[in-house]
Amino acid sequence: MSQSGATVSQECITAFNELKLNKKYKYIIYKLSDDFKEIVVEEASDDKEWDSFREKLINATTKNKNSQGATGKGPRYAIYDFEYSLASGDGIRNKITFLAWSPDDAGIQPKMIYASSKEALKRSLTGIAVELQANDSDDIEYDSILKTVSKGLAA
Amino acid sequence: MAQQPLSSAVPPTDIYGGDEVSALVLDPGYCSTRAGWAGEDVPKSILPSFYGHIGSTNTNLFGDEYLIPREGLEVRNYMNRDSVVEDWDVAPKFWENMLVKRLQPERPTAPGKNGLNDDPKKDGEGDVSMDGATAEAAAEAQEEQEQEKALQENPLLVTEAPWNTSKAREKTTEVIMETWGCPAFWLSRTPTLSAFAAGKATALVIDIGGSNTNVTAVHDGMVLKRSIQRSPVGGLWLSSQIRSMFEHAEPKVALTPTYLIENKTPVDALAPAQARLRKFPFQIADSFRRYEEERVLTEFKESVVEVWRGNPGPYRAQGTEDFIKTQPGRVFEMPDGYNQMWREQRYRASEGMFDESVGYPLPEAERITKEQTIPSLIRAALEAVDVDLRPNLLGNVVVTGATSLINGFNDRLNNELIGMYPGVKIKIHAAGLTSERRFGAWVGGSILSSLGTFHQMWISRKEYEENGPGIVEKRCK
Ligand SMILES: Nc1ncnc2c1ncn2[C@@H]1O[C@H](COP(=O)(O)OP(=O)(O)O)[C@@H](O)[C@H]1O
Ligand SMILES: [Mg+2]
Repeated sequence: MSQSGATVSQECITAFNELKLNKKYKYIIYKLSDDFKEIVVEEASDDKEWDSFREKLINATTKNKNSQGATGKGPRYAIYDFEYSLASGDGIRNKITFLAWSPDDAGIQPKMIYASSKEALKRSLTGIAVELQANDSDDIEYDSILKTVSKGLAA
Repeated sequence: MAQQPLSSAVPPTDIYGGDEVSALVLDPGYCSTRAGWAGEDVPKSILPSFYGHIGSTNTNLFGDEYLIPREGLEVRNYMNRDSVVEDWDVAPKFWENMLVKRLQPERPTAPGKNGLNDDPKKDGEGDVSMDGATAEAAAEAQEEQEQEKALQENPLLVTEAPWNTSKAREKTTEVIMETWGCPAFWLSRTPTLSAFAAGKATALVIDIGGSNTNVTAVHDGMVLKRSIQRSPVGGLWLSSQIRSMFEHAEPKVALTPTYLIENKTPVDALAPAQARLRKFPFQIADSFRRYEEERVLTEFKESVVEVWRGNPGPYRAQGTEDFIKTQPGRVFEMPDGYNQMWREQRYRASEGMFDESVGYPLPEAERITKEQTIPSLIRAALEAVDVDLRPNLLGNVVVTGATSLINGFNDRLNNELIGMYPGVKIKIHAAGLTSERRFGAWVGGSILSSLGTFHQMWISRKEYEENGPGIVEKRCK
């Protein structure tokens, strides 16, 4: 269980395994259910376009307690299956990356809920190679993320 | 220190779970103690952790309103400078005063305890804000047994320093469960809560507080014990620098607290103060005067002190002071009317947080070493953790604590980190709202304990009864 008490639904693990073992997806975006009790799959996709993935995170929303349940910017968790060739010419690498997306302009409640529930999801998914936290749109530029994921070894 | 309670318009509701939980959150610090309802944005009750003690009647007075010139009044603190509870006789009474009397004043209480009988001479029992150690103490304890306990309806989350001792944790647990009868409780470490409140499960948390500064790595919501670094470069250390600065100023600046001023006449800058001092027909304790001096110093920090950002050169470099002298300064009027412009001095006073070679002379015991500066604490904290984790921590630096509110602090910290870790992406998160910065840990605790799912986390009375106070070491890691 997480520090918040939120739990992970089975579909999160199933989708992850499809991505990891069967390469069925390129990425999975996870969110907390509307009652904030459970982490669920928001979208699993085989779209290889980084920018559409990035746009989805940037546009993600959630209910915000502060403004009487109005909708505001929302944090998310994501798994992205990075594939890159090494600059050394030694072939291709895959890195399954866990991304904790918590935009600075999201409300403090949703940020807190996502931060304190993260560990539960991470622990349910075995085979994560790299883990990142990102807080604004600059943090999720493809080039800078790939540099981190590949430790600067990508071509 | 002398913080006014902020009002909060939001009632304690719980929209997430639907369960009606009226949980309370308590955040004890050396300078102030913050208490309020889970789910609210700011703590409703903020009291100085300093309290009044009257020796002749052995009475304790909790709250700013009692810290006034009074015969025999001494000022004490129930915490120690390590941010750990020092006085276990006083702490529970201090906390109960906040959690019951101040937060739930509408609750019916026994006449001896309702706060209407403030004079302990007339009423041997004292009230919840009075620690009357009398012969009736035993009878009172008996009565308390039979009476309803103070917090039977409120789960309680209490924050603690990451180095809090097991003994202190168990003591806290006993007070919560035995003395107050809470249905459930939780202890949370302040860096974890500050990180969560910034939306981060992993962060390097830098808390520049009242009596100390600490740098702690949090990974997936867990404090990494070996990373914890702390030093005395906090608000009180800065106060000592300012005192020394006044001492070494030309002319020397007298630090006369407000309560001593009967009246004053405006004077020109640098001219001697023209004020008549109040006389008291009784002795004022040094501890009271010192507490009052700290209030003036806090104001001085808020409006005058600044951290040198590093441009065009480091403070210690030749020419920097001369450069600052050509820049606009800040005027400060002391309570006695004395006023002057402060220029390079207002940077010099804070510079020691980053560079131990600069500053005003301090007594041996208060001097800090290079290892105690903030950059050294950060380096040591990072060196204690796995190499792979370091970039993630440097990209997620969370700054909290009221002393971090000094102007220029974050810019300087950022410049220091860029210099220390070239090529690494550095990102500092410091809440824009000063309330979040001053009460970062409280705010974190407030949100966490108001989550509908958090009821699964609380250590319940049943669990406590089955396992004893040792349960806290097992559950609140
Ligand atoms: N705006 C401010 N700028 C600089 N220092 C401040 C400001 N407000 C309060 N302080 C100082 O911060 C210290 C209290 O910090 P805080 O984080 O509340 O400590 P604690 O958690 O130990 O109670 C005091 O020394 C006070 O003088
Ligand atoms: Mg503190």
